[in-house]
Amino acid sequence: MQIVQLIINGILLGGIYAVLGVGMTMIFGIVKLTNLAHGEFVILGAYASTLISTTLGVDPILTLIVTIPIMFLIGMGLQSGLINRVMLKGSEPALLVTFGLSIILQDLMLLLFTADARHAGGAYSSIVFNIGPISIALLDVILLAISLVTIIILSLFLKKTYLGRSIRATSDDTQAASLMGVSVKKTYGIAMGIAMATAAVAGLCIALKWTFYPSSGGGYLLTAFGVVVIGGMGSIPGTMVAGVILGLAQVIGGANWGQLISYLIMVLFLVVRPQGLFNK
Amino acid sequence: MDNNSLASARKPVRVLDGPLMLIICAVVVAILIILGFLGLPNNTLRYFFKIFLYIVMGSMWNLMSGFTGMTSLGQQVFVGLAGYSVCVMTTTCGMSFWMGILCAAVIGVVFSLLLSTFLFRMRGMYFAIATWVVAEAICTWFKSWEFVQMGSGMKTVTRPKPTTLDVYIWALTLFVIAMVVVYVLLRTKTGLGLTAMRDDTDAASSLGVNIVMSKRLVYIIAALFTALAGALYWINSGTIYPDSGFDINWTVAMVFIVIVGGIGTVAGPIVGAIIYVVLSEVLAKFPGWSNIILGAIAILVIVFLPDGVMGTLQKKLRFDIFSQKRFSEPKAKNSKKAA
Repeated sequence: MQIVQLIINGILLGGIYAVLGVGMTMIFGIVKLTNLAHGEFVILGAYASTLISTTLGVDPILTLIVTIPIMFLIGMGLQSGLINRVMLKGSEPALLVTFGLSIILQDLMLLLFTADARHAGGAYSSIVFNIGPISIALLDVILLAISLVTIIILSLFLKKTYLGRSIRATSDDTQAASLMGVSVKKTYGIAMGIAMATAAVAGLCIALKWTFYPSSGGGYLLTAFGVVVIGGMGSIPGTMVAGVILGLAQVIGGANWGQLISYLIMVLFLVVRPQGLFNK
Repeated sequence: MDNNSLASARKPVRVLDGPLMLIICAVVVAILIILGFLGLPNNTLRYFFKIFLYIVMGSMWNLMSGFTGMTSLGQQVFVGLAGYSVCVMTTTCGMSFWMGILCAAVIGVVFSLLLSTFLFRMRGMYFAIATWVVAEAICTWFKSWEFVQMGSGMKTVTRPKPTTLDVYIWALTLFVIAMVVVYVLLRTKTGLGLTAMRDDTDAASSLGVNIVMSKRLVYIIAALFTALAGALYWINSGTIYPDSGFDINWTVAMVFIVIVGGIGTVAGPIVGAIIYVVLSEVLAKFPGWSNIILGAIAILVIVFLPDGVMGTLQKKLRFDIFSQKRFSEPKAKNSKKAA
């Protein structure tokens, strides 16, 4: 029974990891950029949700109505104002710019929000269902649902809408897409905006599930990257499977060894199958 | 130089090396040694000590990223391992810190050799992130490894305790050796192969550059010198924690130094390290803001001055300090091989 409990916990955790990684994998696959500031974007989302819900006294989940559009605009602005400019100079300058952004954001958050641990709580935070010997927290189920809905909406958007198709076209062949009249720079801006919007969702999940600090971003960045590496860049089903794999690793390893096991799995994948599980 | 109508665009690049530059460098080093013994205040010495170590680390990152095309975000692993080597040797084993430095060097070389066996399967961003993941993995492991007292950190007990002047001289020596190694390496055939590889791996490989061997050589040299610089740093600093030893900020500093100084130039990291140390001392008065300002400067430099301070100067004024070029353009009148 303990194994069943572990697997369930791992899957529940995997949802959060998948939504953490989905923004990273989009930027990786579409913009061809390693966004080293993704972890800080997520933590920014976490702060935004926590602060809005405490000042307005609303449920943290409702804050997504505000944080998603704001984060979308920030992402679009960053991409078109800054990152598009340096991407002309090659992939390394762009990588280093996102690195610079992550340092700036981390210390800005430290200045604005102090180093205190933060946490967002809802009315449902402490409800636990018991089904026989297995216990499931309502919060975990809600977070999994939020993650799944986000990922499904995202993949429907990419598959069904004109904008989504143009994004995928750009990702497959930048030159051909631009010849067909797709504005590559605008597409990159939108892709970064969407990635930031998913970061807002991931931030909310983290704020509800754990405590976080301004410096928490680095760890989540590596988890997000792990999702990209294991799932294969740009692959949405891969993202979900990778999330569950990392979730299981975390649960099985526990507080002491979970992180180390996740890192080892990542290194293993990087060595043996760097294109990931689900790559075209 | 004749100033014809083609003007500055065709103005030849003057390569500054050879006996004259060597003499200038020797004089600068001699002045630094004499200044040390003349009794500069300890604070000034510590300032220089920091600058020397950061030049070494920056030059090594530059050798990897700027000359070879291996952008690593995990060089902090060698700083941390070196620090722990010194601590374990001096505290746990009760030996002198020289053994600690030796141990740091050996571990740096062995570990980098080990890492190179699988890291080199990756290119570009994958390599960058993989190095970071490895560093984080080691950091997490050290946090729960009892031998290194887990998260509570270790102390170096150095007896006799080296004076500030001692560490200053050691750091200066390391700096000089590192610069000589970088320069000599770049001037060899391997060095030319490295830049060829950075610009086009496949073309270089088809022209007979042994990619894996050259990369490995650079990676090991970089690890060795980063570890030595780290060992000196931790001997001077005394206490190490997993979070401070394997801090990503070590690599942040190296990146900043190289970007601001001028990536792919030999003199760049020297300028960058001076700017970095001076800036971070000045910014220490504004707690909380220092990384924000450093990050903003780095981004502005990448956007507006992509060649860095030295790179831009060298391009504008058409000169090259200790470059890979073996002669001044356009005519190799007296192509001296200083190496």
